[in-house]
Amino acid sequence: MSAIEVHDLHKSYGDFEAVSGVSFDVALGEVFCLLGPNGAGKTTITEILEGYRVRSGGEVSVLGMDPAGGPRALRERVGIVLQSCGVQQDLTVAELIEMYGRYHKRRRGVDELIELVELDAKRETRAQDLSGGQRRRLDLALALVGEPDLIFLDEPTTGFDPHARRQAWSTIRSLCELGKTVFLTTHFMDEAQTLADRVAVMRTGTIVAIGSPDELGGRGRRPSAIRFTLPHAAELPERIDAAITRDGDRVQLETTNPVRVTAAITGWAVAEGIELTGFCVTQPTLEDIYLELTGEASP
Amino acid sequence: MSGRRAPVGVGRDFGLVAWQVLYEQRAFWRNRARAFFAFLFPIIFLVIFSAIFQSKTIYVGFHRTISYDTFFVPGILAYGVIATTFINMAVGTTVLRDDGVLKRMAGTPLAGWAYVAARIISTLIVTVAMSALTLLIGHFVYNTHVRGATLPGLIVTLALGSATFTALGVALVRYIKNAEAAPAVVNAAILPLTFISGIWFHFHLSPTLTDIAKVFPVRALADGLQHAFNPFTTGSGFESSDLLTLAVWLAVGAVGMVRFLRAPDRV
Repeated sequence: MSAIEVHDLHKSYGDFEAVSGVSFDVALGEVFCLLGPNGAGKTTITEILEGYRVRSGGEVSVLGMDPAGGPRALRERVGIVLQSCGVQQDLTVAELIEMYGRYHKRRRGVDELIELVELDAKRETRAQDLSGGQRRRLDLALALVGEPDLIFLDEPTTGFDPHARRQAWSTIRSLCELGKTVFLTTHFMDEAQTLADRVAVMRTGTIVAIGSPDELGGRGRRPSAIRFTLPHAAELPERIDAAITRDGDRVQLETTNPVRVTAAITGWAVAEGIELTGFCVTQPTLEDIYLELTGEASP
Repeated sequence: MSGRRAPVGVGRDFGLVAWQVLYEQRAFWRNRARAFFAFLFPIIFLVIFSAIFQSKTIYVGFHRTISYDTFFVPGILAYGVIATTFINMAVGTTVLRDDGVLKRMAGTPLAGWAYVAARIISTLIVTVAMSALTLLIGHFVYNTHVRGATLPGLIVTLALGSATFTALGVALVRYIKNAEAAPAVVNAAILPLTFISGIWFHFHLSPTLTDIAKVFPVRALADGLQHAFNPFTTGSGFESSDLLTLAVWLAVGAVGMVRFLRAPDRV
């Protein structure tokens, strides 16, 4: 059984179709990531899966249940981190974790969760006195309190400093080790690259590509770029199996066979005693692919 | 896994309501500003107004007068009920909505009715505490006594009034755009009515104003309580026309409350 099955999902608001015919499956234990610009329909899909919104058409199953209307049996088994959603401001971290834990039949201990999200020092601090990052970690603790099988994380690290993001990532990865299924939305490429088993890229209500971060949009088969600067007056050898672009002394070679071309170039440079500065070989980044797929690449 | 098991079965939801009431109470009293406005404000009014109008008496018809305190204690009690239920519910629920707490709660396994019930019970606990304190101060400081004969009228009017203004408070949230606007909207809805409903002073109002006041539940609550306090009242202290007005507004409030809670855009 899949954790999530979505087939031909549609959602309209009046005349505006926010989601138009989206299909995908999320396997149990998988980290699945929806990636896309604001307004692409990520949050709409997430909120349909969470039971907050009712779809206009298509089939949806979450842990074998129809999420429409948010059945209680489903709410027992999912944990939700919403975008910017507050808590009761006057209660402390420990009180909130205890309170939200009571709603669940299964639940994790308060101390264990506080330790997991590293809020030990803030245990008796009221929610209103927490920093943004601390509040986000509290969100995560509250989403995990019911031992969920499936966790929704809607842009979980927006507003984090780099250190806090690394911390959150390691927490999310530890969830995968516990066998949880994670449904993630983000607009950070490195987040998708680091965490996701599979990524679906969205653009104006549809999925334009789906696959592992390394293979997305044929990324693994795309030409790589070899860049370096030639010393003055040096000329490139004649036979190179690559598309050459030159900008003064700066050279870029695009090739689907980066290993052989690199060997040829470096072999030639060593034999001729030529120093190539700033030599690097790069694959297209996930960001390159993303910008191309979402049509946001500069012309 | 270190999962602990919570009790299951029929009693579980009621147990959750009880727990939730406890958390709501803790949160309420911890917020000093809110507790002050909802709970202590009416009592401060009581002290100040009684000091100003110390030796005044109020004509209640048929060549009879009562002391200002006897008039004012039930008036303040009415305002206190409105402050702890209507104002507190409307402002508090708007804040919870805008902060996304209602949305978060909707995503937990806690039954929606259980959360609403806990919020209402918690509000009524504050109302009962405020009423008891007001009555005690009235009794020992201002010498205003409720007689045993009219006590049923007092209790029924208080209970019905609390229910009515709680429901109206939640119902009003639909019409409040955001949390910053909440106190303004709530006071705009209630303050003018308190002046024409005989809560603070016993004005001689034009018949038109009196007729307007009679439509709304503020005057019904104040008048019902004043009736129960009036030493010349005979019977059990029920003023049936006031209770009827309150009951009609309770129905209005209940419908509005259910519409607010069911509205898809509440989250």
